[in-house]
Amino acid sequence: MTGVREEDVVRSELRWGLVTIAAVSVIMIAIIFAGVAMHINPPSNIERVNPQDLHLSAEFTEANLGTRVEANGQITSRIVATQFAFVPRCVVLPADTPVTMRFSSPDVIHGILVSGTNVNTMVVPGYVAQVHTVFRKTGDLLMPCHEFCGLGHSEMLATVRVVPKADFKPGPDGRVACANQ
Amino acid sequence: MNEQNGDEHQKEDRRWFLASGLIVAGVLAFSLTVGLVILPIAQAPNAGIDAWTAICRAMGLSPGTPAQPQPPSNARAAPVSQVRWTPKTLRTLAVADPRPGAALAEAVCSSCHGEQGMTISDDFPRLAGQSPQAIYKQLSDYKTGARYHPQMTPVAQQLTTDQLAEVAAYFGGLHEDIALGQAQVLAEDDMARLILRGDPARRLPPCESCHARGAGGPPEAPVIAGQNAAYLARQLHAYKAGARRNDVYRRMRDIAGKLSDDEITRLSETYQGTY
Amino acid sequence: MPTNRRLIISHFAVAFAAFLAACALGVWQMWVRSPLSGPQDIPERYYQSVTAHGVSMAFVLTTFFIMGFGYYVAETALKRPLPGRNWARAAFGIGVAGVLMAVVSIASGKASVLYTFYPPLTATVWFYVGLVLVVAASWIWCVLMLVAMGSFKKANPGVPVPLAMYGTVANAVMWLWTTVGVSAEIVFQIIPAVMGWTQTIDVGLSRTLFSWTLHAIVYFWLIPAYIAFYTMAPRAAGGRLYSETMGRLTFVLFLLYSLPVGMHHLFMDPEHSTGFKFVQMSLTALVSVPTLLTVFTISASMELAGRLRGGKGLFGWIRALPWERPMVLATGLAFFMLWFGGGGGLINMSYGMNAMIHNTSWVTAHFHLIFGGTVVIMYFAIIYEIWPSLTHRQFRSVPLQRLQLWLWAIGMMVMTIPWHVLGLQGQWRRVASFDYSDPRIAAWGPWVVVSLVGGIVLLVSAVLFVWNLIPRRYSPALEPKPGYAFALAAHPPHRVPGVLNGFVLWNILVAVLMAAAYGFPILQFFLGDSPQAVIHPVTGG
Repeated sequence: MTGVREEDVVRSELRWGLVTIAAVSVIMIAIIFAGVAMHINPPSNIERVNPQDLHLSAEFTEANLGTRVEANGQITSRIVATQFAFVPRCVVLPADTPVTMRFSSPDVIHGILVSGTNVNTMVVPGYVAQVHTVFRKTGDLLMPCHEFCGLGHSEMLATVRVVPKADFKPGPDGRVACANQ
Repeated sequence: MNEQNGDEHQKEDRRWFLASGLIVAGVLAFSLTVGLVILPIAQAPNAGIDAWTAICRAMGLSPGTPAQPQPPSNARAAPVSQVRWTPKTLRTLAVADPRPGAALAEAVCSSCHGEQGMTISDDFPRLAGQSPQAIYKQLSDYKTGARYHPQMTPVAQQLTTDQLAEVAAYFGGLHEDIALGQAQVLAEDDMARLILRGDPARRLPPCESCHARGAGGPPEAPVIAGQNAAYLARQLHAYKAGARRNDVYRRMRDIAGKLSDDEITRLSETYQGTY
Repeated sequence: MPTNRRLIISHFAVAFAAFLAACALGVWQMWVRSPLSGPQDIPERYYQSVTAHGVSMAFVLTTFFIMGFGYYVAETALKRPLPGRNWARAAFGIGVAGVLMAVVSIASGKASVLYTFYPPLTATVWFYVGLVLVVAASWIWCVLMLVAMGSFKKANPGVPVPLAMYGTVANAVMWLWTTVGVSAEIVFQIIPAVMGWTQTIDVGLSRTLFSWTLHAIVYFWLIPAYIAFYTMAPRAAGGRLYSETMGRLTFVLFLLYSLPVGMHHLFMDPEHSTGFKFVQMSLTALVSVPTLLTVFTISASMELAGRLRGGKGLFGWIRALPWERPMVLATGLAFFMLWFGGGGGLINMSYGMNAMIHNTSWVTAHFHLIFGGTVVIMYFAIIYEIWPSLTHRQFRSVPLQRLQLWLWAIGMMVMTIPWHVLGLQGQWRRVASFDYSDPRIAAWGPWVVVSLVGGIVLLVSAVLFVWNLIPRRYSPALEPKPGYAFALAAHPPHRVPGVLNGFVLWNILVAVLMAAAYGFPILQFFLGDSPQAVIHPVTGG
């Protein structure tokens, strides 16, 4: 009368259950594969720093912000996110090279994304947020603050200037800065 | 018949119970194993670390990600201000007694800053109604040399930290009609725009996003509504030229650097208002 | 029947008053963000509006609707009067007091911290107290739901709890677990800081506690819509529910897997490790299962109905369905939007892709589409279904109901598709004004205007919804309808397994899952010195 037998109901539901499990498994396998083969992880870095001491620290002191080639060749860009600007407001990074960007905040929650890339992280006071990436396209990329940080949030943007490898010329101390700063 | 049903029901219930428990346990075991053990071990070679370090990073016991090397850092600290907004400092400010502050203000401050901090001279800033955090920070910066002024530096150096807090509490508690921050800022069109909306094209936040009371900006942001225009303009020019550098992380240097001289003049006059 | 009609209607009145106001604010917000200049567009007003819009939609509309609907189901599904009627009234009073406190705080400009109120930005204490009161009211509701189900089971041993009530109580149990996070954050962290008993806040801990609530709360909102899918839509279509067991499984799976997954809102946060992010992502993949099961079961139920009405062939049953009935139309529109919203959810869940869209307009698009679209359109349909039995009057114009539902679905698609596109292009969130002089941002302008048009259509639909409910649109009913007839299953079970008629096992498993997924991530803030941030009171001039 109701148009379908109970055993048919059970069988079709079980079959669909298997389809569901297969779909979910495919997604999980893809993510695990990306993790193993391409080293893709979400930005995690449990490195604690007191926000009120950030400006007194060595790594995040004003003079050390921006891009620097470390002694071992690693290229690191250090940026402070504060109400309501990024310091420095422009950084230079080379294309086609693994780089690390490190952020921290002395005050409230901020966040960044670099438009056109998958560089994206929250900047939580008390932690050094860290992103590892390789930029493929050159140009001036927008890096806005993407988390509400107060009444000046809308105007908080920086620029990431990606230059071809050959044009990336660090000074004797390893630092590179944007030209018209 | 009912007993048989009862037994069957119990068996059916137990099967469901066990199956559910096992499935959930299995899912959990899979997630924990892959996330905390298998993935980090697989990623460790790329970071040049051993399996145990990778697992520690994956658990959050050490900084970094299991898949990439941590960058080194060697730098020298060169802070522009020694003031730290610690709970201790904030509590000191919150409980500071304004009465010894009033005595100090009378004895030391009023000769330049005026009776109760309301000078009408262009040379000195008004202090009545100023945020205690702002006063405390500037006095501390004078004391440590982060900011220099031929008269303020020796004055601040003779005061103890507690006295700085007391003076700050005194001035902060003055709420007469003609104290700072008491009157509305009346602005013409383009100044109003800068003050209330900022300038997105220059990435300039609105002045009020930090300087309005209760705006939620940096604790040391001073109240500037009603401040004397010449003083404000001098400070903005000093920030613009980099001569004044005690603003933590360049907040005012960056902003002043984007303002034209004309804007600096007009903003200062707008903020002084009708005093 | 039901005996508490006035109480239930009062809940809906509060819910949809907040909803209507929030829709209007939403349109204003989109206007000032667009290249078109709007009135009062200063950041202070914008963030005040965003806070009001978020609090109204996320806390007031939802909680009050769910409480009212829960009381309705308890009486009509169990065919017993609601226990603890005075408690229910007290809960309503407490909830309304809380809403008023929150509204006044926001309106006075002392609480522009957004509905996610991320400390160290803090508002006036009355804002938080108001929200706590709303939560407390909902806890009373949860207890009443549990008591109602408990006394039904005692009076009817061995009888399966009717599916609509089982789903409602699953939701209540889940809500009790869910609110632990945000309540702990408010009571132990934020209020002490705002009152000055402490001066700083551990931001990592507060974000983590909030994330505990943040994902499960959307399932709290969603389950009533699924109750309608399982227990109302099949009957409205003229058929039966394909499988009642699937319905029970769905609710139980939501209870299990909505909670230990909150960290996927923190994928981009530094303060949690890759390992625990993976664990919670893996569990998030499982919370898609109940939706996938539901899509099959409800489609099958609809097919049963369609074929009963003479539909033939592979898709003929779709055309045969009684689309003129609002509940059927809403279900179809909800499922259409579910593909996009749910698909977007699968993208958000995988952290590689999440990195492309975190905190962009994509996220705004996703939750407006899945919640504002799929879920809220079912809220409308539920109200249309039960309004006659609540008010003892019949509707005079059903075509206006259908028009309202179509406008809602169309408006939602027109509003959210541009946001999805803009999010992929990198447009970020919570911006009061964009720099349209930058050519990259100027290119976004036309899309922003299109989504504004969608928002205006939604506002029209919202006004029409309230208009449809106003009594003068009715004609008197012949006599009060006796209760509400929920859908029957194709093969109604005489007995269900114990685990699908109660929640003991599931509570145990939730505890195990939460301990594994959130145990260490929360504990880490208490080992050693966790950094603290100074509070920034955003309390207006």
